[in-house]
Amino acid sequence: MPKRQPRLTPICLSLICFLLLISCGQQTTGPSMGGTPAASPSSPSPSASAQPSPSPTSGSQAQKNIKLVVWDTATSGVQKEIIETLAREFEKDNPGVQIEHEGYPFDELQKTLQRAITSGKGPDIAQINNGESSMGPLVRAKLLIPLTKYDKQYGWSKKFAPALLARNMYTEDGKTFGKGDLWGVSQTGELVGFYYNKKIFQQNGIQVPKTFDELEQVMQTLKDKGVTPLIFGNLDKWQAIHLYGEILGTMTNREYLDGLIYRQGNKSWDTPQIKQAAAKLQEWESKGYFIKNYAALHSDDAWKLFAAGKGAMLLQGSWLTGDIQKAMGSNAGFFAMPPRGNKTVLHVGGVGIPYGIIKTTKYPDVAAKFINFLVSDRAVQLLLENGQLPAIKVPQSYIKPNTVSGDLYKAWNKVNDENALGHYLDWATPTFYDTLTAHLQLLLAHKESPDQFAKALEADYSKFLQQEQK
Amino acid sequence: MKYSMSGRSRRYGSALEPYLYLLPSLVIFTLFVGIPTLGAVVLSLLSWDGYTAPKFVGLANYVQAFSDPIFWLSLWHNVVLIPYYVLLPAVLGLAPAAVVHHLKLRGSSIFRVGFFLPYIMPGVLIGVVWRWMLNPAFGPVNSLLGLVGIQPLGWLGDFNLALPSVGLIGAWATYGFCYVVFLAGLQKIPQELYEAARIDGASGWQEFLAVTLPGLRGEIAVVIAVNLINALKVFDVIWATTRGGPGRSTSVVVLYMLENAFNINRVGYGSVLGVIIAVLTLGLTLVTLRLFGESSD
Repeated sequence: MPKRQPRLTPICLSLICFLLLISCGQQTTGPSMGGTPAASPSSPSPSASAQPSPSPTSGSQAQKNIKLVVWDTATSGVQKEIIETLAREFEKDNPGVQIEHEGYPFDELQKTLQRAITSGKGPDIAQINNGESSMGPLVRAKLLIPLTKYDKQYGWSKKFAPALLARNMYTEDGKTFGKGDLWGVSQTGELVGFYYNKKIFQQNGIQVPKTFDELEQVMQTLKDKGVTPLIFGNLDKWQAIHLYGEILGTMTNREYLDGLIYRQGNKSWDTPQIKQAAAKLQEWESKGYFIKNYAALHSDDAWKLFAAGKGAMLLQGSWLTGDIQKAMGSNAGFFAMPPRGNKTVLHVGGVGIPYGIIKTTKYPDVAAKFINFLVSDRAVQLLLENGQLPAIKVPQSYIKPNTVSGDLYKAWNKVNDENALGHYLDWATPTFYDTLTAHLQLLLAHKESPDQFAKALEADYSKFLQQEQK
Repeated sequence: MKYSMSGRSRRYGSALEPYLYLLPSLVIFTLFVGIPTLGAVVLSLLSWDGYTAPKFVGLANYVQAFSDPIFWLSLWHNVVLIPYYVLLPAVLGLAPAAVVHHLKLRGSSIFRVGFFLPYIMPGVLIGVVWRWMLNPAFGPVNSLLGLVGIQPLGWLGDFNLALPSVGLIGAWATYGFCYVVFLAGLQKIPQELYEAARIDGASGWQEFLAVTLPGLRGEIAVVIAVNLINALKVFDVIWATTRGGPGRSTSVVVLYMLENAFNINRVGYGSVLGVIIAVLTLGLTLVTLRLFGESSD
C-alpha cells in the first residue's frame, strides 16, 4: 500500500501545537508534567524536530487554550460532584488548563462515545468500559492511547493490585485481554459480598461465618427457625451471576478464572468446578435458603426488603453500602464470602469504568496528569468522604469500627492484600451476559442440570474463541 | 370543445396540488423514516462492530438469522403475544364502548380519559408500575389473591406465567385506545339502522351483530392494524419487567435486536432483525387492511 501522504499534514500540525503546549506546560507547572517534549505516543514525525522552539510568550498564550473534554457516567449526585470538584482543583493547580466535564447515562455514553470518536468529535478523556464492550474494539481500531508510558511515570502499577490493573489491559493488537499495555485507569473499585442484619443474627445466636461450611450452617439454622436466610432478587437477571460467581470463587483458582475471562490458555467452562458450583447453587435453592419467589423479585426491591428486616442476609455489591447504611444504620454489617478450608476466595467484583485517553487528543500528557489526579490521595479522600469505594486500599483513618462501611473497607483491603479480586463472569464473551443469565435462571428453576449448564456456557465460549481466531 | 383549455389546465392543477399538500409530511417521512430505513437495510448487509471498518457480507446476516434458534424463539413469543395485544384489548375496548354508547351513560368522557390514560403512558413506566403490582413480596395483586386463599405467585419470574403476565400488561395498556376508537365509530353509525333493527324485532345481541359490528368495520381494521404493530414491536414493557427472562421465556425480536445492535456491538445482525420485523409488520398490516379495510365499501 502506498503511504498515505495527505494525513501527514494534520499530524505534523497537531504535533507542532502539542509541542508548543508541552514545552510551555513544563515552564509553568514544573517537572511534574513529565515526558520529553518529543514523546507524543501517537504520532512521531521527523519533521517535528525541525520546528523552531516556541518563544515563552506564545507558549503561555497557547497554554491558556488547553481544554480537556472529559466524558464519563457521572451524570448526577455524589459522583458528578466528585469529578467536578477534582476538575476545579486540577484547573487551579494547572493554570491555563480547562476541564470540561460531561456526564452521560451508561448506555448513552457507550453509544455516543463510539460514534463521536469515529467521527473525530470525541472527548480527550473518556470512561472506556472494560473488555469487549468498548476497550477491545477501541484498541483494535487504534482509537486509544496506550498508558504504559504514563504508568511508568506515575507508578500506577505499584498503586493498584495486579488483578485490578489487568482488567484495564489489552495487548497492542487488541487481541488479548488482561495483559499487555494499560489503556485505562479506574478510580473506583467494586466488591460483592454479604450484607447482614445484626439484630437477626443476634436473636438467632449466630456469628458471622468464618468458613463456607459455617455459612451453610448459618443459612440452615435460620431456615429452621423460619427466618429467610438470603435475600436476592433475580427478576432483572444479573444478581444470579453474583451469587453463582461467589460460590464458584470458593472453588476455583486465579490461573483458571483469569484464563477464562481473559480468554488465555484455551480454558473450558465444561469443567468439574463449574458444575460443582452450579450444583451447590441448586442445592441452596432446593433447601429454601433464598427468599420466596426470588425469581420474580427485582434487585431494587430485594435490598429494600433486606433493609426492612425481611431476611438475615443480602448478596449485593459495595455500591449499595451508602444506601444500606442510611436505611439500617448500625444494624447492618458486611462480610465477604468466607473460604472453604484455607483456599483463597476469588470474590466477584471489579473496577469502576476506567478513564482512558482518546487518540485524537492534542494534549495526551495533560490528560494523563488529570487521570493521575483522579486517583490521587485527594481523590481517594473525596471518594471515601462520599461513601465511594476507591480502587486502592482504604487508609486506616477512614475505617470506623462497627459500621457497614468499616466492614466493607476491611474486606476490600484484605481482597487487595491477597490480590483476591475475581471477576464478573459475564465478561467472558460479548454474548456471555445473555447466555449466563438465561442459563442461571434455567438452572435455578431446575429446568437444567449442572452438566447442561456447563455445556451451554462452553458452547457460547468456544464459538467466540473460534470467531476471534478467524 | 367545451373543456378544452381551461378544463385541461384545471385538471393539471388538481393533479399536482395534492402532492403539494403532502410535501411537508413527505419531507419529514423521508428524513426520519425513509432514510433511516434504507440505512438499516444497508447496515444489514455489513458485518460491523460500530468501531472498526465495516465489512460487506451480503446476505450472510440474513442466513444467520434464519438459522438462529433464539431469533425463532423470540419471533414465536411475538406470535404468542398477538392474542394479548390484538384480540383481548379489542374485546375489552368494544364491550364498555358498546355499553356506554347503548345506555348513553353520563360522564362517558371520564371513562374515555380513564381508559385512554394507560395508552399514552410510556411503556417503560407501565412496566415499572406493573412490576410493583406483581411484586411477589408486597405487590397488590398477590395481596388480593391472598384474600381468597391463593398462595403468592411469582408472576414475572415464573417460566409459565411470565409471558402471559407480559401479555396481560400489554392488553391493559392498549384496550383504552380500542375503547376510544370504537366509541367514536359507534357515534357515527346512523341511529335509523338501530331503529329499523328494533322494528324488525331484533334482540340486543342481534342488533350488535347485524348493525354495530358491520358499522365498525373500518375501526376494527384500524384497531387490529395498530395493535398488530404493537404486538410485533413490543419491547419497552418487557425491558422494564423481565428483560426477556426467566431463561428466554419472554424474549421478543425487538429486544433481541437491541441486545445485538447496542449491547454486543453486532450492528449488522441487529439491523437484519430490525429489517425482518419491519417487513413482517408491513406485510401483516397490508393483509389486515385488505381484509377489513373500507376499500370494498
